[in-house]
Amino acid sequence: MNIADYLLEHGDDQKVAIIFEDGQSTYADIRHAAAQVALLLQRQGIGAGDSVGLLGANSLFWVASYLAIMKLGAVAVPFSTMAMPEEVQAQLAFSGCRAACLQNRYHGRYESAFPAGLPLLMDDCLDPASPADWKSLPYNSDFDEGREAALMFTSGTTQSPRAVRISHRNIRANTDSIIEYLELDENERIMVILPFYYCFGTSLLHTHLRVNGSMVVSNGFTFPEKVLDLMEQHGCTGIAGVPSTYQTFIRNTTMARRPMTTLRKVQQAGGKLPAVQIKELVEMLPNAHIYTMYGQTEATARLSYLPPHLLDTKLGSIGKGIPGVELRVVNEAGDPVQPGEVGEIWARGENISEGYLNDPGASGEKFIDGVLHTGDLATVDEDGFIFVVDRKADFIKSYGYRVSSQQVEDCVLALQDVVAAAAVGEPDAMRGEAIVVFVTLREDSVLQPDAIIAHCRGKLARHMWPKRVEVLDSLPLSAQGKVLKSELRKRGSSNGAAVK
Amino acid sequence: MGNTEELIRKYIADNILFSKDGYPYPDDASFLENGIIDSMNVLELVVFVEEHFHITVGDEEVVPENFDSLSAMTAFVRRKQAEKESA
Repeated sequence: MNIADYLLEHGDDQKVAIIFEDGQSTYADIRHAAAQVALLLQRQGIGAGDSVGLLGANSLFWVASYLAIMKLGAVAVPFSTMAMPEEVQAQLAFSGCRAACLQNRYHGRYESAFPAGLPLLMDDCLDPASPADWKSLPYNSDFDEGREAALMFTSGTTQSPRAVRISHRNIRANTDSIIEYLELDENERIMVILPFYYCFGTSLLHTHLRVNGSMVVSNGFTFPEKVLDLMEQHGCTGIAGVPSTYQTFIRNTTMARRPMTTLRKVQQAGGKLPAVQIKELVEMLPNAHIYTMYGQTEATARLSYLPPHLLDTKLGSIGKGIPGVELRVVNEAGDPVQPGEVGEIWARGENISEGYLNDPGASGEKFIDGVLHTGDLATVDEDGFIFVVDRKADFIKSYGYRVSSQQVEDCVLALQDVVAAAAVGEPDAMRGEAIVVFVTLREDSVLQPDAIIAHCRGKLARHMWPKRVEVLDSLPLSAQGKVLKSELRKRGSSNGAAVK
Repeated sequence: MGNTEELIRKYIADNILFSKDGYPYPDDASFLENGIIDSMNVLELVVFVEEHFHITVGDEEVVPENFDSLSAMTAFVRRKQAEKESA
């Protein structure tokens, strides 16, 4: 079945599906809006296999466009609203988009990213009086689920963007699996603060539509107290966040003093929340189940979870594979590790992507014979529970987003006074990981760290901004001349990062 | 009392916007809508006003009504200072 039909299969027309800051949409509203977008895209000549860009905040327009694109057999290409216009421009070209859906409020910021002549659909196209009807759109009962449904951009650089190819089957498999282990049903009402363009956010949309549940949407997390108000006001049963979300809730909000009586399921993924903070969360929310989970965009979203009743005995573990996912931790010979031994996490399942778009090199390293080599290093205990200890690839997980270290370094190196630069992540109570850049400068340079940070702020998306820049006489190098980032990470944490 | 506003204005320009030309927005411009601050900056602002103006900001006070524009922040700080003096 086409995944758009699958996700909307059980949605009750009269039921409120999404509550926004300025209104709400029923399942009938979503179908109606999606039908309109589908017809308008068709009129622009969009059909099976065509890529269509999608840029906007969580909104009826975003949801309708996403479903409409997939319903046409076309490929949805969501862009981050935190990206710089040049990044969006590069991603549009790389994915060969033949049209784009763009929320009006982002038009000014991103106008330069869209090539002249590219058909643009904006949210003012939605007309409550339109006769468009979802049920009158063509329905193909033997739709090939192996076809691409979405391209999800992950860390890459402007010069070499990287997009994961996600099929209709990938989404269905991951959606079913998540619904099963979280035991989601139509009574769920989840607080959504994660953007739908991010695979964790998309998974919330998929699962809650599929179970005929509902979502409360708050764009952004700047005022977490407001998010808590919304959760209480609308009786949210669930929330999903990355480590920085919960670190903020724990340290900087009144969550602990609120009854939060309806909250039952708390989902955490997108990086490692320190065990001590998981414990604090459990104490703060005695009536809720805390699910610590693990995943990657390459796996549609989710790979593993730790059942909440095991938090006492397996604290800090990412658990085991979710239903339908086989997770193994293997050594360099490809054999399962012994308890205590460190190996790489490999995954197999219907949710695993077939590979990256137009990047056989990277695909060949990451996807081998249908097995995803996650690049995450882990140990396994006697009971088979997996503990992530490190990662092979050089990226930083800031606010749950994968940030390419190289992209930050390239940006810093564009400054003439900078001789060498190395970006690393250090544990941070607000960001999950904060970006710290170590640089060496030309001998006579008077360049100040603040000026380097200011430069990055002008060139990089917000979640890529360094928190700190340190000037060194030299970078620690291995015998092969490679920067020893492990040394820099140690140095960063021993300097006692300012934690607010 | 204009000093409070100027201090906040300068802090945001220097430390959040890294602006060379001061604070280029109207005083009542929403920080959120104009992309001036995000969740990490708002906590930075809280620490700044606590340290600079010797006031204590409760978690429940970190809401848009108090922290979403220069004028809202100024009014909030003045109110807190007045409360402190009368206490």
